[in-house]
Amino acid sequence: MVTPAEKREHGVAVELAGVRKSYKGRQVLAGVDLRVPPGELLAILGQSGTGKSVLLRQIIGLERPDAGRIVVGGLELPRYLGMPPAEKPFRVAMVFQNAALLASLTVAENVALRLREHSRLQPAEIAALIRRVLEQVELTGTEDKLPGELSGGMRKRVAIARALAIDPELMLYDEPTADLDPILTEQIGQLIARIRTTRGNTQIIVTHNLPLARAVADRIAVLAEGRIAECVTPAELPRSQHPLTREFLRASALAG
Amino acid sequence: MAVEAIARAPRSPGISGRVGARILEVLQILGEATELFFAAARSARFLPVDRDRQRVVAQLVRVGTETLWIGALLSMFVGMVMVVQAAQQVRNVSQEILGPIVGLSMTKELGPVLMGFLLAGRAGSAMAAELGSMTVYDEINALRTMDIDPVRFLVMPRFVAATIALPVLILYADFIGVSGGAAVVAFDPAITITVRAYLDRMLEWVHFSDFVVGLVKGVFFGMIASILPCTFGLRTRGGTEGIATSTTAAVVWSFILILVFDFLIVRATFAF
Repeated sequence: MVTPAEKREHGVAVELAGVRKSYKGRQVLAGVDLRVPPGELLAILGQSGTGKSVLLRQIIGLERPDAGRIVVGGLELPRYLGMPPAEKPFRVAMVFQNAALLASLTVAENVALRLREHSRLQPAEIAALIRRVLEQVELTGTEDKLPGELSGGMRKRVAIARALAIDPELMLYDEPTADLDPILTEQIGQLIARIRTTRGNTQIIVTHNLPLARAVADRIAVLAEGRIAECVTPAELPRSQHPLTREFLRASALAG
Repeated sequence: MAVEAIARAPRSPGISGRVGARILEVLQILGEATELFFAAARSARFLPVDRDRQRVVAQLVRVGTETLWIGALLSMFVGMVMVVQAAQQVRNVSQEILGPIVGLSMTKELGPVLMGFLLAGRAGSAMAAELGSMTVYDEINALRTMDIDPVRFLVMPRFVAATIALPVLILYADFIGVSGGAAVVAFDPAITITVRAYLDRMLEWVHFSDFVVGLVKGVFFGMIASILPCTFGLRTRGGTEGIATSTTAAVVWSFILILVFDFLIVRATFAF
């Protein structure tokens, strides 16, 4: 069992200050300020098309912000991204909305990809590690299957296994339950909660699924009009006066 | 009021605007392709690494599987048609010239261009579709987040494999094209020369330098038929429709650039 103290040691802090991003003159992020302490599980909640995924892409470095700064694990993001993989002091992984598994590779090859490219582990050690992470996501026995042979929920879990394989200090999830039915959504939620318990790394989940955010997150940040409108704990959420949060709560109550 | 509103309304670009935009797009694609070419060439320094070499071999096998049979059919029929057509044209002169016609055409021009087109059409379109799909479905971004360089991982193996495979494929096409011609010479009653005479005249006329010209073309065409599809694949936007558009554009552009480079190489060989 991992103690709380050990959990905190495995995560890294994420800080965003004044992050702005526009596409063809349309401002999507209008100055995002956010601080995620090490080991926290933060859910970023917002309506579709409000820039949640764009925000994640800035944090992992797939896109560069027009203005503002992003610091991960005490390092300015451009400096971290410029480091050779072997010299990076911590690892960051992302689970994409559509899983983004390489269609021509098997499950095992997908999960092992980064390890094969950048680690000095022996093939037997990598194989053992793959078995372990696939067991964690309850996909034992799927090693030789191709992504096309798996259901949407299984593909998401393989994507999570691929992220877990490198034991990242920061994990980002882009709409991990999009397109999944309520049962699969619950399974993915349980998996994320389990990762938090066993790994203790920092996790940021972008979602418009309020029940998922309330079930797994330490804090929920509401993204509205390109800014973080509020950042509260799940317990504080029902008392929120922000119109978007109220709207989410109302819609969630209707759906539930 | 109404006049002001009309003046402010965005106007669709005129013909000069559209032509200008198209020229800029063409220049941008050529720029991206050039950049990708140098990036892939730089990544070739990783060839001594086992897994990089394995990826090149896998692509070589794939290119071979996709092109060998159809390449054989294509070359054989081209060789056969050339003999039949040329035999008609020279019926009042001497059919002894059939060997040199087929040999020189295949080694210097038809072999390289046909195989270049075949590589672009079969393997190149597959490259554009595959990389396009990977771009659209975030697989390329997933590689980037794993600190895996998509150029080294995806583009370089295809580039090196196509550049190696095409000259080999051209030699193969030359041999089969000449053999196809020989088969017609042997069995067509309208042709009066022997296979021996067909081959002897050919060997008199076709020199080693003619093969070299074909192979040089093969190297250039192989680069074109891999870099352009990869460029179009990586710049794909907009889902399934975008993948289809990229694939078609990759093949059309490859055909055009193969012909442009064909002209430039021929012109350069006559300059020396």
